[in-house]
Amino acid sequence: MADYQIHRCERQLEGGIYPETHKAPSTTDSCVFVDDPKRLVFPIHFSGGGPGEALVAVGATVFQGTPIIKCQSGITHVASRSGKVIEITDHAITHPSATKSASIIIEPNGLKDQDYLDPLVWPFDADTLRNRAIEVGILGLGGAGFPSFKKWSDGTQTLIINGAECEPYLAADDTLMRIDTHSMIRGACMLSQSLDIKTIIIGIEDNKPEALEAIESALKEFRSDCFFDVVLLDTKYPSGSERHLIWLTLGIEVPTGSRAVESGIIVHNPGTLAALSRAIDGKPITDRIVTLTGEALSTPQNVIVPIGTPISHLIEAADTTPESLASITVGGPMMGYPVTDFTAGITKTTNCLLAREVEMPPESPCIRCGACATACPVRLQPQQMIFALKGGSLDRAILEGLTDCIECAACNAVCPSHIPLAEWFRLGRFEARDKVNDQRLAAEARERFEARNLRLERIALEKEAKRAARQAKTADALEKARKARKESA
Amino acid sequence: MTDELWTIGAGVAGLSVIGFLGGVLLHYASKVFSVDGNPLVNSIDALLPQTQCGQCGHPGCKPYAEAIAGGEPINRCPPGGQNTVDRLAGLLGVDTLPLDADDAMIEQDLVAIIIEKDCIGCTKCIQACPVDAIVGAAKLMHTVIVDECTGCDLCVEPCPVDCIDMIPRPKSPDYWMPARPDVISSDRFGQIGMQHG
Repeated sequence: MADYQIHRCERQLEGGIYPETHKAPSTTDSCVFVDDPKRLVFPIHFSGGGPGEALVAVGATVFQGTPIIKCQSGITHVASRSGKVIEITDHAITHPSATKSASIIIEPNGLKDQDYLDPLVWPFDADTLRNRAIEVGILGLGGAGFPSFKKWSDGTQTLIINGAECEPYLAADDTLMRIDTHSMIRGACMLSQSLDIKTIIIGIEDNKPEALEAIESALKEFRSDCFFDVVLLDTKYPSGSERHLIWLTLGIEVPTGSRAVESGIIVHNPGTLAALSRAIDGKPITDRIVTLTGEALSTPQNVIVPIGTPISHLIEAADTTPESLASITVGGPMMGYPVTDFTAGITKTTNCLLAREVEMPPESPCIRCGACATACPVRLQPQQMIFALKGGSLDRAILEGLTDCIECAACNAVCPSHIPLAEWFRLGRFEARDKVNDQRLAAEARERFEARNLRLERIALEKEAKRAARQAKTADALEKARKARKESA
Repeated sequence: MTDELWTIGAGVAGLSVIGFLGGVLLHYASKVFSVDGNPLVNSIDALLPQTQCGQCGHPGCKPYAEAIAGGEPINRCPPGGQNTVDRLAGLLGVDTLPLDADDAMIEQDLVAIIIEKDCIGCTKCIQACPVDAIVGAAKLMHTVIVDECTGCDLCVEPCPVDCIDMIPRPKSPDYWMPARPDVISSDRFGQIGMQHG
């Protein structure tokens, strides 16, 4: 039995909101597999891990687990089913940009051909684990898709499992913690032992009693040197935000502009750790749990589906015709984004498909009520930032703390004027990022320009010095010749 | 009486010494902590886009910054666009001016590209590039380091075989920008304001 304790969190999240959770509809029935779709879609540049390149050509036969995309960060994405590459073309993607992007289309052949790696045998060091994570394509499966291996730096003291899942409607992590508890804990232990981490914290909201029970019984059976600290959190949005979870569980505030890793903390989604556990056995990420929910779906449920499954296939799996929906939200109602082209395939970070019809009332002017400032979990002044952004002053908004905004949309939820604050902040953050990039380029150009001027100046001086030396030499020679002539005369 | 005179004299002398020492201290402080160059020039230079294109009539951004500090108009930087003019106006505390440029010149993010099969290796473009963004050697093919190119187009004109084109700056394939949330409410706000006004 592993050493563990379960206790309630003694800290309170400042700001935040209590939305209706709506998690019950999808979790009443157990999680099911879905029949394989007729085609799988893998975007080359938008699968997570940065822009990539295709490793297979049209017509190639791939097995389940065959690498098909290699990203700039090194992350490899694999085919989730065996089949044939029928096309590489611009295709709709599951991404907020709503553009079409180069994608690999695979037609599954229904065979069980597998292309797995050899299992890793304990003991292995952190580098071996990092390489394995790159080979099997492990990304943060919570939604952001940050390459996990980049978090695994030596000198880390704490691993936090982010089981908060504070977004309403979402139940993918909840489901995973119920049915795949052992993999999650095994993955966490393997990672902790290779990085020499002693404490594993599991942060979980108190609206998931079944998952908590599963974790407790798994910990009772599990043997490990690590100490497990299970922290029960209030069901308050956004307690699952990385920084807020660290504050709630450890009381540490990660400084602005730095990552949690720099404070010696790793935060992982339960799915990421379960995937890591399987990766150690040699199995790449081929499937994930997706929550199908929302009032517009006939049978809300959690399903295990191959990566790349088209959204339309999943809508049908929930006994609904795709044509009846105008758009579907990918992710939760707070931070999700709409997708209208249902041929797009789910990616590793797609945790939820939410179908519901919400009539957004038209936006009204700001009445300066300050509700957004009370709700903001980062203690920003959203009303000030939105004035600045609408007035076109990005600098002012950055001064107000725009770059610290986590885009949680708690301000949207409480705004009585229905102002889309979070959308503005997202745009502003993108612009700020571009601005930083431009400034970096400008600084580099300035440096090169100045270095070039110095060089040209130096060359000119050298030329001048050489010319002077030559002149002096000529004058010298002339003088000598004159003298010689005089003497001979 | 003499005592008092002595006291006053000593006071005056003491204050003079303190004043003198203070003066010496200030003199050295002004030498030790002096800022190189005109700090205003550096702040102006920081706002300029560092394209080094010379469209303002100066050989680079720093010289234009010096000229602005010397009183030249602030609206001569087409790559910076109106945005830069407004920021300069803010920095200098003067009224902003409309940008002095053709529409075609404004805010196009371009980079130079050498059509390599046509390049004869004359090195003229290398000499023209203000930021050393072109590599190559005499009688060998040249190429542009795209990441370093500022899009100033100073290399286009010197090329004897017209093998340099300006193309839009290539973006990473996963580059994207969120759509602007609609601004209907501010329009409506404006209308309400007008009705009341």
